[in-house]
Amino acid sequence: MNFETIIGIEIHCELKTNTKMFSAGPVRFGAAPNTCTNEIDLGMPGTLPCLNMHAVELAIRACSGAHCTIDPLIKFDRKNYYYSDLPKGFQITQQFHPIGSNGYLTIDTEAGKKKIRINRIHMEEDTAKQFHTANGTMIDFNRAGTPLVEIVSEPDIRSGKEAAAYVEQLRNMLYYLGVSDCKMEEGSMRCDVNISLRPYGYDGYGTKTEIKNLNSLSNVQKAVDEEIQRQSKIYLEGGTVIQETRRFDEASKTTISMRKKEGNVDYKFFPEPNIFPIQLDEAWIKSIQENLNEVPEQRKERYMNQYGLSDYDAVTLTATKELSDFYDEVIKHTNEYKLASNWVTTEMVAYLNKEGISYEENKLQPEHLAAMIDMIIKGEISGKQAKVVFEEMMQGKDPKVVAEAKGMKQMSDPSAILALITAAIEANPQSVTDFKNGKDKAVGFLVGQVMKASKGTANPAMTNKMVQEELKKR
Amino acid sequence: MKLNDLGKNVEANVECVLSKAHASQDKLNAVVTFVDCEKQIEEVKKLDQNLPLYGVPVAVKDNISTKGIRTTASSRILDNYVPVFDAHVIAKLKAAGAVVAVKTSMDELGMGGTNLNAYTGKVNNPYDFERISGGSSGGSAALTAAGVVALALGTDTGDSIRKPAAYCGVVGFKPTYGRISRYGVIPYASSLDHVGCFTSCVKDAAVALEVLAGRDDRDMTSSYEPVGHYAEALNSDLKGKRIAVLANVMDSIKDEAILKNFDALCEKLKARGAIVEKVKMNDELLETLLPVYLIIANAEACANHSNLDGVRFGMREEGADLEEIMINSRTKGFSSAVRKRFVLGSWSLFVENQEKLFRKAQKVRRVIVDAYADVLKDYDAVLASAASTTAPKPDESNDEKMSDTYLVAENHMVLGNLSGYPSITVPCGFAEGLPIGVNLTAKAFDEQNLLNIAKAIEEETGLEGKTVEVNA
Repeated sequence: MNFETIIGIEIHCELKTNTKMFSAGPVRFGAAPNTCTNEIDLGMPGTLPCLNMHAVELAIRACSGAHCTIDPLIKFDRKNYYYSDLPKGFQITQQFHPIGSNGYLTIDTEAGKKKIRINRIHMEEDTAKQFHTANGTMIDFNRAGTPLVEIVSEPDIRSGKEAAAYVEQLRNMLYYLGVSDCKMEEGSMRCDVNISLRPYGYDGYGTKTEIKNLNSLSNVQKAVDEEIQRQSKIYLEGGTVIQETRRFDEASKTTISMRKKEGNVDYKFFPEPNIFPIQLDEAWIKSIQENLNEVPEQRKERYMNQYGLSDYDAVTLTATKELSDFYDEVIKHTNEYKLASNWVTTEMVAYLNKEGISYEENKLQPEHLAAMIDMIIKGEISGKQAKVVFEEMMQGKDPKVVAEAKGMKQMSDPSAILALITAAIEANPQSVTDFKNGKDKAVGFLVGQVMKASKGTANPAMTNKMVQEELKKR
Repeated sequence: MKLNDLGKNVEANVECVLSKAHASQDKLNAVVTFVDCEKQIEEVKKLDQNLPLYGVPVAVKDNISTKGIRTTASSRILDNYVPVFDAHVIAKLKAAGAVVAVKTSMDELGMGGTNLNAYTGKVNNPYDFERISGGSSGGSAALTAAGVVALALGTDTGDSIRKPAAYCGVVGFKPTYGRISRYGVIPYASSLDHVGCFTSCVKDAAVALEVLAGRDDRDMTSSYEPVGHYAEALNSDLKGKRIAVLANVMDSIKDEAILKNFDALCEKLKARGAIVEKVKMNDELLETLLPVYLIIANAEACANHSNLDGVRFGMREEGADLEEIMINSRTKGFSSAVRKRFVLGSWSLFVENQEKLFRKAQKVRRVIVDAYADVLKDYDAVLASAASTTAPKPDESNDEKMSDTYLVAENHMVLGNLSGYPSITVPCGFAEGLPIGVNLTAKAFDEQNLLNIAKAIEEETGLEGKTVEVNA
């Protein structure tokens, strides 16, 4: 590589609220067009904004997860421009006083941990959604006024891989903290990447391009790598990179120019007169921060340090919030952490994947799984029987009921097993002789007899051990 | 006409008001829309007859949203606009038993002080049809003065209630900013807009305030301050009341009749036991009132009215693409006077100008308000003539030019908007048959004190309930 790559990322993330940023209009993804709007969302004359405090709470969670300094004095500004997706003709945003500033996230790179600084996090409202058709442009105002946070990184990212790692890290954090559902493909998390190149050792910045609306992690990486190639090729051929907005074309795997940036647009930002500055109660901010969900790193640490799980298990469990949420429910009912992790990450995940069942549809009750694990430990059922019980549990059934119904109850009472062993030895005196002569298969034979007599319910490990002890006594 | 003059027969009241309004229309041109009141009357009949405004037909300025009733703000671009919701004050009026009977003419979008710039044409003064009503709430002022209604709603961004009240000889009252919710009021400038009312007497203004005031969760700037029982508590005793006469205004007025009238009033107030003292504010500071007001108001306005683009509602002019539709709709939809204000507002917000125009105006606003508060801290109210002349003729008045002669005297009531303090204009007599009004302003949320002093003035002038017959 001839150049150093400088990347900064802007993320727009829809907040998981019931209502809009400044109105009581409902927020629902996928609702019929223009059914989630009211007079405020449509920018009718005389309407006024009313701040959704739940959105502020979620923004505070995002700021906390990103280690930002929180400004307890909330102020909003107007960003003025005319466009059909902007009903009021201005967007209410936080230009001058973002709620969060000076934060960071830590990402894993091949060279180890790396801090990506976050310049600011601010709240604003989303625009309407446009659909360009052959017969004209259709506008769905359902999205208009949806609460957003915009998260702007410093230009600390140096490669496509780092860019994807940063976005993934941010997405996990926001998702775990319940800030957003972070569905990139549905547009609830949108990613714009600014890229420029410069010769190594040079302190200034090259001309940057912005790639808009990347809708998946893999596209973030692909688009960045592709854009790096494109720009370095231009420089190596003696050309100049033009400041412009580009988009990533999935079919051709290239970035395509959308529009040139000719000077900066003057949005005539000024303070929103209809919302006085709001002084947040420090105690309220503190209570939000004290009641934050764990972020993935914290969970991983807990799994490894408190439960003694391996790094691999901890990473596997925390890969999705749903999986580790389920695991956390299971271990409320059992202390067999490792066994619980195995069942959750292998058997359960395999079953859900095979049957195409989502976590929401999962009928397996965490306490049932915990109960089954305890039955295995106590030797009430065998590992083999457990797999049968598990299949039934995936239908929502109680493992105790299943084991009972199938007569699976493992015989683990030593006196009962001893009685069967005594009977088997007495019926087969030859086996004692064989054993004394060093023929180990006598043990296997007698265990088989006991299993037969118990209809397979005798605890095999116990039986094996006790048969050997009894033979030695003879 | 006073509220008490109306009986409890809703139909009869509405019938009477609508017929008088129709009869006055040729002379005053105050009405934009005559409302079909049938459904409202049915609703009122279900209510308790003891409600404060039971059966009262009200005139409403046409920038206040009325569900199902055309609301144009006297602008062409909203000529076909019918709101799907009621403004907070309309809901309050209806809950108190009132009926919206007419929507009244105004300067387009509240931008003006003459009511010459309304899409339906100028409004005439009931005392002399050749003269202006004043604006921007001219239609509401004229109908109250002509005895068509006992109560009319207006809005006041610079002096848009208090100036026409002076020209038309009625009580014009805007309470403290935040006292009455602005939800559903088509704005001019959000930080300066107030809702208020016109009545023929101070007591009716007190009754109206009690109905209209109070916190509304849809207007974040509306106040939690408890609402008083203003009419019941009305007390015109002036003993020991301290009243400051704004010398900067009175010293610059040259109209002898107005000065004489004002001095006589001051003597009467003193005779009642009030302490009346001249107070002078910094002249240079007061000369900034108009430019500061215009910069802030128009900056806010150019953003506030960006929603009027002909796309989702209002009058649309076709064009080749979206941008052309917006440009055509806005070019044809607004008068040139309004477009001029948008340009001025936009200009003062540009990055290269914002610091030296808009931000500076905001800073000066703070300095002005501090100086005004400094005056009021020693007094119950500030008193001055509401205007430097009686109602002028259209060709003598101009919203577009700044008047050096009356830079302060004609614009001092903007102090009430910059500060948000409660302010009321009370009729104070006549000069050559034309009304003279005085203006009183008090501290924030001190409405009771303000109304009490206004009541004392009304008792001295004997003009309680005064109206003029225009259908003779």
